[in-house]
Amino acid sequence: MTEQEPQATPDAPAAAEKPARHGPPIVVAEEVLNERGEETAAQLARTLGTLVLDAAGREDTPWVRVDAAELHEAAKKCRDGEMSMDMLNLMLAVDWVDRIQMVYVLYSTTNNRKAILKADLPAELPTIDSLTDLWEAATWYERETHDLFGVEFPGNSDMSPLLLYEGFEGHPGLKSYPLNDYEEW
Amino acid sequence: MALEGNNDAQSLPLFVPQKWDREKGGHFFHTDEGGDESLGKGNHPAPNRISGTVPGVITAKLDDLIAMGRSNSLWTLTFGLACCAIEMISTHMAHHDFDRFGIVTWPSPRQSDVMIIAGTVVKKMADPIRLLYEQMPDPKWVIAMGTCATSGGPYYKSYSVVMGVDHIIPVDIYIPGCPPRPEALMDAFMKLQTKIKSDAKNHQIDDLRDSVEQIAPAPAPDAALVADSVPIATEGTAG
Amino acid sequence: MTTEPQFETVDMMLNMGPQHPATHGVFRMVLTVDGEMVVDVTPHIGYLHRGSERLAEVESYGQVITLFDRVDYIANLNNELAWVRAGEKMMEVEAPERAQYIRVILAELNRIASHLLFIGTYAIDLGAMTPVMYCFRERERIENLFEHVTGARMMHNYMRIGGVRSDVPDDFVPWVRRLVGEVRKGVEESDNLLSTNEVFLGRTRGVGVIDGPSAVSCGLTGPALRGSGVPYDVRKDDPYEIYPYLNYKVPVGENGDCWDRYYLRVLECYESLSMVEQCLNQLPDGPIMAAGRRIARPPAGEVYVHSENPRGDLGVYLVSDGTDKPYRVKIRPPSFCNLVGLRPMTKGSYIADAVAILGSLDIVLGEVDR
Repeated sequence: MTEQEPQATPDAPAAAEKPARHGPPIVVAEEVLNERGEETAAQLARTLGTLVLDAAGREDTPWVRVDAAELHEAAKKCRDGEMSMDMLNLMLAVDWVDRIQMVYVLYSTTNNRKAILKADLPAELPTIDSLTDLWEAATWYERETHDLFGVEFPGNSDMSPLLLYEGFEGHPGLKSYPLNDYEEW
Repeated sequence: MALEGNNDAQSLPLFVPQKWDREKGGHFFHTDEGGDESLGKGNHPAPNRISGTVPGVITAKLDDLIAMGRSNSLWTLTFGLACCAIEMISTHMAHHDFDRFGIVTWPSPRQSDVMIIAGTVVKKMADPIRLLYEQMPDPKWVIAMGTCATSGGPYYKSYSVVMGVDHIIPVDIYIPGCPPRPEALMDAFMKLQTKIKSDAKNHQIDDLRDSVEQIAPAPAPDAALVADSVPIATEGTAG
Repeated sequence: MTTEPQFETVDMMLNMGPQHPATHGVFRMVLTVDGEMVVDVTPHIGYLHRGSERLAEVESYGQVITLFDRVDYIANLNNELAWVRAGEKMMEVEAPERAQYIRVILAELNRIASHLLFIGTYAIDLGAMTPVMYCFRERERIENLFEHVTGARMMHNYMRIGGVRSDVPDDFVPWVRRLVGEVRKGVEESDNLLSTNEVFLGRTRGVGVIDGPSAVSCGLTGPALRGSGVPYDVRKDDPYEIYPYLNYKVPVGENGDCWDRYYLRVLECYESLSMVEQCLNQLPDGPIMAAGRRIARPPAGEVYVHSENPRGDLGVYLVSDGTDKPYRVKIRPPSFCNLVGLRPMTKGSYIADAVAILGSLDIVLGEVDR
């Protein structure tokens, strides 16, 4: 399996060059918001205020990073405030090896705007509050993330395995799970 | 592996797969210890009772007739797993009609002859497939449609995919393709029909051989001829 | 169900197992029934979880196109379009106009094929055996065209990041015009057979009602959401490719029951046919692939792209670390989210209605489980 370089990301400082890499150097994309994205970013800043740790965005979708403990509050403000984000479009986890990043894509059917919330969790025992009381769509997303990444969601009443069978050992979404070393069954 | 568990719908037995060990006798073929190679691997139905009791010419034509009947009226279990199921459904429909072969799709495993595994076999699904296979009564056949059922296909080396359904059940016909065309599925059924008829003929040859053995057993080789001959089998050759 | 039982009763759990003719694939529903009325439903999925997202991390950008073909195996070209657009957004290239027109023509034809399959299988779930034969006959015509253009009936692997793989044959435009006429007649035939049939109306009217706000909260998209009155269509709200140049309406239902969800798919077929004709009239000449590197090596970053599949809003969240293989690919499958709405729709209906409701959601298990 090819070794992954998670350091070259927009929201972490670029690491020193790794001499063992072949091929062209890694280019980091510039994140530029267009006009509509700027409006949405301004609304987000107004809604969330001091909860925001980082903010950037690409084209018409701004993203903000909040602390994991305050994510539930931030999501509630997005849903109920002027942004009225009434749909949780997508929820996923990204395994940067030293941390797990939860990404929530929210959408508002009334305003037709998209926004992304991110939160960083530690790599061992990642835990974050469940959002099932805000959007019902979160129930299955959280079960799936728990299956594949091992993230715990206190507050979600049903955490049985969704995609994997009961008794599956390990969390296959993590980079540490051996994929091509799989033995024939 | 034995499937234990109650039939209580509340706690259906969920499969925890263990590593399947070919040497320890985990093969599922119907062949006896002797391994009758002439009958071919896969499924072959037990010979019919009449031929055991009244061997010979009388039942040869009956076996042929039964085989012809079976092969021209194969009822398949509606069992589409993934993308190949769409091509399987297309084959049943008006353009590439399957009904002209006598093949109808039947939802209940207890009344069907053929199971077409159309699609990727995932470990979570291995238990239900084995259950369905055991619910089908003899004579039954299995067709592995598509590369996923044959050997894992494009999902080879994935963590949750069984690399080919023949780890779980014995397969008669393999169809390559991703997905195979409806014409390929029809060709597979025509080959299955040939297999059913030739298996029946092979049964007859064995029955005939057994009955001839009973009436006139082969004489022991002549001792004078044997003494001068050079033994063929030495330690090096396989026994 | 209002009379008090004279004896003690216990709710029964009925398993519609992974092998069932009406579950549209390997889907398992455990219904808790009180007599004939469904009290609760627990869906179990994962019987087709093949690990596509994880496999995408070890395959290059061009190889992932084949994985996406098999995610929603009925609307292949729409999936490819979503992935290819994600790659293009990441690499900051744009496909030339001719390629975009060809992509939209094929995607809309695939939408029609998918809806035809829905109409046929929905009818056969409810017991009508004739429309499925007619619908599959029309699907064969469309698959014939796909074979002529892309080389395969189902898994096309035709779109590339930056355009399409090869130009369409010379007889493409007259062939598609003829095809549109034939398919329109076929859709009308099935429409006349089913949509105002009294038995069909009795089975689907007022069954599986869900209102707009709960549908949005459950994450429903596509026809399942538009049936409840919420006019969310990605082609109109977040337009992509050449959809802004086309003139079409998006059908929206009122009651949120099964018949609305069925009928607006039929109307979408007619709209898609008119869209294909408009595209044929506007099809320009030109290159079909953007100039650029053969091996996609996008800059590091994250991008979210969504497009309108026949089943809903297919989203692709792509995280790249600068190498030639994606770092993380997350597919937002519309059927996965539509299944969250199965529970509120099915509570309080009969067992036969559970089959009708599941059919009207139009799920594809390859997408639900990936």
